[in-house]
Amino acid sequence: MNLPISADLLRNPEDRRRFLEKCAKVAFGLSVLPAFARLASAAEQRSAVKAPNAALAGFGKAKHVIFLQLNGGMSHIDTFDPKTGPGKGPGDSVSAKGDMQLTSYLPETAKVSDKITVIRSMTAKVGVHASAAYLMRTGFEQRGSVQHPTLGAWAQHFLGSSHKTLPSSVAVNRSSNHGNGWFPAAYSPLPILNPDDGLLDTKSPVGEAVVGKRAALLAQLDAGFGGKAADENVKAYNEFYETTFQLMKSTDLKAFDLSAEPAATRARYGKSKFGQGCLLARRLVENGVRFVEVAHGGWDMHATLDDRMEDVGGDFDRVFATLIQDLEAKGLLESTLVVVATEFGRKPTFEGGGRGHHPLVFSTVLAGGGVRRGYVHGASDAKGYAPAADGVSPGSLHATIAHAAGLPVQTEIMTPAGRPMEIGNRAKPQLGVFS
Amino acid sequence: MTLFPRLVLVSCFIWAPLVEAADKKTSKKAPEPVIKAAPVATRPVAAIAERAAVWHTWTDKDGRKVDAQFCGLSGDFITIQTRDGRTYHFKTDILIPEDVAFAKQCLDRSRTNSFSREIIASAAVDVDRLVAAVLTANQQTPNAPATDEEFLRRIYLDATGRIPTAKEADAFLASTAPDKRAKLIDDLVFSPGYSMQMFNWMADLLRVKDTFGKGIPAFTFEDWLKARLAANTPWDKMVAEMVTADGRLCDNGATGFMLFDAEMPLDGVSNLMTTFLGTNMACAQCHDHPLAEWTQKDFYQMAAFFGATDGKDEGVLREVNRLAKADSAVNKAAVRKIAEMNAFRLDDGAKQSLTLPKDYKYKDGKPGDPVAPSLIAWSKSDKSLPAYNVSTKNPAQLRDEFARWLTSPQNPRFATNIANRIWKKAFGLGVIEPVNDIDDLAQASSPELLAHLTFVMKAAKFDLREVQRVIYNSKTYQAAASPTPDLGKAKYLFNGPIVRRLSAEQAWDSLVVTAVGTYADNVLLRRGDDIKVMALPPGKVTMAEVRNAIDRTKKAFAGSGKAGGKKASGGSTMGLANGYEGAKPVSRFSLLLARASELPQPSAETHFLRLWGQGDRLLADSATNDGSVPQVLQMMNGSVGRLVSDPRAEAVMAAEAAKTPEAQVHSLYLSFLARRPTPTELTAATRSLADGLAVTDLAWVLANTREFLFIR
Repeated sequence: MNLPISADLLRNPEDRRRFLEKCAKVAFGLSVLPAFARLASAAEQRSAVKAPNAALAGFGKAKHVIFLQLNGGMSHIDTFDPKTGPGKGPGDSVSAKGDMQLTSYLPETAKVSDKITVIRSMTAKVGVHASAAYLMRTGFEQRGSVQHPTLGAWAQHFLGSSHKTLPSSVAVNRSSNHGNGWFPAAYSPLPILNPDDGLLDTKSPVGEAVVGKRAALLAQLDAGFGGKAADENVKAYNEFYETTFQLMKSTDLKAFDLSAEPAATRARYGKSKFGQGCLLARRLVENGVRFVEVAHGGWDMHATLDDRMEDVGGDFDRVFATLIQDLEAKGLLESTLVVVATEFGRKPTFEGGGRGHHPLVFSTVLAGGGVRRGYVHGASDAKGYAPAADGVSPGSLHATIAHAAGLPVQTEIMTPAGRPMEIGNRAKPQLGVFS
Repeated sequence: MTLFPRLVLVSCFIWAPLVEAADKKTSKKAPEPVIKAAPVATRPVAAIAERAAVWHTWTDKDGRKVDAQFCGLSGDFITIQTRDGRTYHFKTDILIPEDVAFAKQCLDRSRTNSFSREIIASAAVDVDRLVAAVLTANQQTPNAPATDEEFLRRIYLDATGRIPTAKEADAFLASTAPDKRAKLIDDLVFSPGYSMQMFNWMADLLRVKDTFGKGIPAFTFEDWLKARLAANTPWDKMVAEMVTADGRLCDNGATGFMLFDAEMPLDGVSNLMTTFLGTNMACAQCHDHPLAEWTQKDFYQMAAFFGATDGKDEGVLREVNRLAKADSAVNKAAVRKIAEMNAFRLDDGAKQSLTLPKDYKYKDGKPGDPVAPSLIAWSKSDKSLPAYNVSTKNPAQLRDEFARWLTSPQNPRFATNIANRIWKKAFGLGVIEPVNDIDDLAQASSPELLAHLTFVMKAAKFDLREVQRVIYNSKTYQAAASPTPDLGKAKYLFNGPIVRRLSAEQAWDSLVVTAVGTYADNVLLRRGDDIKVMALPPGKVTMAEVRNAIDRTKKAFAGSGKAGGKKASGGSTMGLANGYEGAKPVSRFSLLLARASELPQPSAETHFLRLWGQGDRLLADSATNDGSVPQVLQMMNGSVGRLVSDPRAEAVMAAEAAKTPEAQVHSLYLSFLARRPTPTELTAATRSLADGLAVTDLAWVLANTREFLFIR
């Protein structure tokens, strides 16, 4: 076992606490209580954990990850895994760039498919939305006694924070929903519920002159309790206030401000929340944020699949293709891994104009961050019912992303509750997807 | 007999006679105290009046009468219990004035029926002696006594969940009565704020959430908890009621705790062990615990006590859905909701069917083997305790038998778990940490203190209010606070409480009091009634009844969500508009100014409460006090920053009413920090008022001081 401290020591509460401190690192320019100040400096000096997978292909190429969540369950057969025969959907199979077949619902993606890897052999057992989405987001099956972290939180644990003042993880169009798992709350992604609003409350409602006077008086009146002799946790809050004052003045905040983008770029991403969310994701990674989740709803197509594929699928198609092109144009695609994840696929059979939930086989997409271009990994059977050979589990997908992001896989850490855990629940990365 | 209109059905336990001799057999389980502290129970307690039930014929203003006994009075709300055991909660203003006065007398009587001040004081002395002896043995000394100002703010936050108003602070600081601290403690633990802060504390422990699973509203669980707290039901009774509860969530809120894990019963068992016993068996669920002694077999044998319990009535679910399929006109989503709600229930079957899992890999059993219920023990002698004498013959009785063992004073961890958690609530640190893993009592910073607190908990018959009165009256609690100790270097032996950041709820409730004063103390949210209308009548399910239930639901939730602002994740705004039974909450800057306990559970993710660490209630003990920049942004620039510096804020208006700048500063200091300003602070603040800052700015500044955020 490769534990930060040995397992038997964790019987001792103080050692557990020390372990917790070890886990704690600077987040959003700050860290957790207690004993913040010491942690912050310790975190900066922390040497990287030795990753057993460091020498393997593709390791650490992805400095950033954009994790797109298509909520509801994207039909693999109607998107990235077209079929002929009885299970075929209303869309036709067409030849796309990079020598792969996509459906006619994805005309824009077909133009950039020479830059992506499609995994057609994803497989899982969970067919309930919330639990399946949890599994795809964390790589672990949902349990009632533990919350698992997102890869953003894992990365912050192993690599520290990705920027001096900006958060390391951001969740766009969704809540953070305990994304820190067992790691400190400060590792939880910063939720941006509306990309147009960006980060809230960065400007004072009163004029600059008053802000200055208030700040000066605050410093004076805080000199007693918050002064030199203050408790460590009180000092930690002194730093939060200090950081906030700095952040309000800093240009880093522009990372959250979509109005700084040229009108043409904003138009290219489209007006939808998903479009603007992906644009925000690009701005954030461009400015040093490591892990950005962007959610896209409407994929639970039990009925009127044809209409909704044009509508919801069309929105995704345009935005995804734009994102890939934009990242490429900005020279960010090789250092940014884009993941298209969905909680499960949909049945090969049609019922009531749509398809039911089908976790047994489904598709995901990877692009950039050192993965192969124009590549199809794995396959489903002729009907699109099950993987043709060995399937790729959500845990394995997580291990793959983690490997690309330079995280140690198959390396145990101990949670504060004393439970040994690995990224992707001990699954192995799919090394075949890396070029 | 006519009942009063819009009575809320709850039920409550009547105060049991308080003190009996503590069970001697149990004390030998805990490490023997090195210091012989006189046990609380040997004090002269015979004089305490029994809490006899008070039967009374209550009359409303229309002359209607009901025979019931008094259970509790909180703000404008009274709780009474009729002879059939049903309990009702309603606003006192429908009663004739004589009965309102009578209710107040009853409340006073319940106060006199609690432990006398002398007994509480002597129990507190025992705690102090023990702490002092441990400190002396380690060449340490207790901290100096806290000043009146420090004590005042601390006790308000701990006992009522909020800071005092300027008026309340002034009254205490100006008083010269020698017993003013003891008197304040008693006033506060019998005030409405006591139940509110206890609710927040328990909501985090019990995972109180507005919606379970697929959006099933669980307001009845919240109402049940509030009713129990209002009646000060002892902890052991509450826990037994939760663990043994039967029936639908919409009828019986007490089922909420067990139903939370209805989809994952094994997780439910490990959560129950953590919450009520401080025992971490989560690892043993899937394999032998790598660090502790629990085996997977141990876990399954415990889980077998719940092997006959079923959390979902599939019959009702199927029947309602079948009927609805034939009815094209009905709203399918509404039907699904009614079906889910009525299927969500706890019931015990005639067969206990738990088997070892498919991947069972140990020699003491094979995959698929049936598992017989058996209780875990922490030491070899545990099993000889009478509490371990449970019958496992009748599967339908297994939960009851388990609860009897669980909540027995003889249970080796039940009293210690809650005593340690209550201690942490007051001091910022448990005697043994982490509080959710106390298997090895020798790991306590002071095993003697832990044993004594366990003893006090049993002597007080699990009455958490009485135990907290003991703690609050101790010199140890009333000492100056210690800085955050470095536990890596040495154990903390409780020279005094630890400097703590306000919990999210304490911070929010304090901001609310600066905005609207004590008004929010009487704003009570009770939404359980609204989901009771979703219940189908017993007997055969008909489509007509399903339709009626849908109509009733629609009516009950008309206007939902408007009062609560935008819904983000967490916290249902369902029923918020008409869920307030006391005063209606004031709304400013899109913030609903009710106490945290009277808002959605938990609040939406972007709400102040969640930013400051209110738990998401998915796991027990999920609240945090971590800091972050978004917190500070909201305090400085966001709605909360505007709220405190608004001209309508009570604290601001009180200061504006003062005649001189000095008096204005003085007033604001009392409102925000519950103390008078030092001469330096007074000079700086009055100078800034002359230099262009307004009273509203000064309010903003004080709310943003570190001192505001911390309990000294």
